[in-house]
Amino acid sequence: MDKGAAELQTRELTINMGPQHPATHGVLRLVLDLDGETVVKCTPYIGYLHRGVEKLAENRTYLSALPLTDRLDYISAMANNQGYCLAVERLFGVEAPERAKYIRTMVAEMSRISSHILWLGTHALDIGAMTVFLYAFREREWLLDLFEMLCGARLTTSYARIGGVRNDVSQEFIDSLYRFTGEFPRRIEEYETLIDQNRIWLKRTKGIGVIEADEAVNWGLSGPTLRGSGVSYDVRKHAPYDAYDKVEFDVPIGKRGDVYDRYRCRMEEMRQSNRIIRQCIEKLPVGPVMAPDAPKISLPPKDNVLKTMESMIHHFVLITKGPMAAPDGEIYSCTEVPKGELGFYFVSDGSGRPYRMRVRAPSFVHASVIPRLCEGSLVADVIANIGTVDIVLGECDR
Amino acid sequence: MTFNRFVKTVFLTEIVKGMALTLKTFFSPPVTRQYPKEKRPAAPGFRGLHALARDFQTGEARCVGCGLCAAVCPSKCIYIYTADSLDHKKIVERYEIEVLRCVFCGLCVEACPYSAVALTEHYEYSDYSRDAFYMTKEKLLANYDKYMGPEKDREYYRKFWHPTSDDFGTPANQAVFRGKQ
Ligand code: SF4
Ligand code: SF4
Repeated sequence: MDKGAAELQTRELTINMGPQHPATHGVLRLVLDLDGETVVKCTPYIGYLHRGVEKLAENRTYLSALPLTDRLDYISAMANNQGYCLAVERLFGVEAPERAKYIRTMVAEMSRISSHILWLGTHALDIGAMTVFLYAFREREWLLDLFEMLCGARLTTSYARIGGVRNDVSQEFIDSLYRFTGEFPRRIEEYETLIDQNRIWLKRTKGIGVIEADEAVNWGLSGPTLRGSGVSYDVRKHAPYDAYDKVEFDVPIGKRGDVYDRYRCRMEEMRQSNRIIRQCIEKLPVGPVMAPDAPKISLPPKDNVLKTMESMIHHFVLITKGPMAAPDGEIYSCTEVPKGELGFYFVSDGSGRPYRMRVRAPSFVHASVIPRLCEGSLVADVIANIGTVDIVLGECDR
Repeated sequence: MTFNRFVKTVFLTEIVKGMALTLKTFFSPPVTRQYPKEKRPAAPGFRGLHALARDFQTGEARCVGCGLCAAVCPSKCIYIYTADSLDHKKIVERYEIEVLRCVFCGLCVEACPYSAVALTEHYEYSDYSRDAFYMTKEKLLANYDKYMGPEKDREYYRKFWHPTSDDFGTPANQAVFRGKQ
């Protein structure tokens, strides 16, 4: 080799992707070392959306900390609320009444659908299919309108309460949701018509970002990201909470653990969620929506606050000091949110505020696997890999 | 390569199917809302800008300065300053909400034992200065007059925000599945 050619040797090129890159779904920053078109090294930097949710919760009563959980995974707030309330309920040893359980299951599945729809739209958009994005948002709008009808907010719902839910569902809500479940399977077929067999989609997703089952388990993946690799693990099946043991549903799993299989898993999951919602509506029992012993933990009914002394005192103490008679101890409780396994770990010192609240966020774990998926792949597949693990930075950075 | 696969590859069947779907949607009515011209109605429990309710007898603010709303607020954006009046009554000197820090969780409305603070259905507020979002008591009362007061038939004490003991018992006409319509 002569001198000129030696000088022409290329070096690795370091580029910065994010934190404002539209395809990083939030504020994820990746530093990529490229050798031509191949990614040699990928380093994620997280923390741009850190708000200190865990620390904030230590200074809030159990009730006031609830709105913080809306902002973890802000596209499936209902499921987060449910996970939080369930953990606190388990800590206090109360149980939500049947009707509230069914309602919570129903709204959690709605948020699963709306989260997966959003994932599908943006993931397809990243890879180049614009139409799916527009169609997906049409259905998402319906669900968000239903959320608004239910609790007055579309995204930051704060709907579940410790010991039940805040308010009962209306007949209009039930009817509209049932119509939605009748319509929705057809809409999933529409999305599939657009991309399922599309050769560009297949080329961009099949065999990309492969992760084997045992490796996926070792990384601590959960949710559809894990199930795409063929591991049948679902908290809803393995440790049923709320009404999941009373409804029938399947847990779809993939085979190869590539981007395409994870996509198939999520599509099937939407169908299963739809099935669960239908069953919940059909079986919805009548009864209270708040646990009978909840007044010691959640706010007492308003008319009683205005009329009876005892409720008034409860009301004041609950708000200023937090729930009475909190037990000492600790608890870990996990639920299956659209992204994976969301866990809340509480340490209680007997006061009305959590001594420590730790959030086991699936997105945090999933963000750690991105380098593993990207290294050695082409730079064009980086966004496919970010999309496929389905991270939300609000939850990742907390 | 099977025959079917050959046909699919050559005639781009899956792409033609996708195109047919978009063509069909092209002729269906649009779902887009022309926002500034066409507004969607707010749902009954919508959480918009804050307001302080007036007492319908005295015309003064109903708030008694108990401080529960400030205590429950997760973002700690309500400030209440009370004082003793000459005849030893508690008076609310200042009642301020920093709307830019509010997360619109609605817990203040739920906590208030006098139904004095309310969330209106007004959501289109934007301004060039931060001061415009620092709501003093006067501004909050004005909000009430503007967005809630004039419609006399609309209860500011909305059941939605204040679950009653019905919700803890079994209300007679709860929503249930009514069969496929
Ligand atoms: S809506 Fe929530 S955040 Fe806003 S002032 Fe009321 S309690 Fe505070
Ligand atoms: S809770 Fe109601 S009465 Fe008490 S200070 Fe707040 S607005 Fe006033």
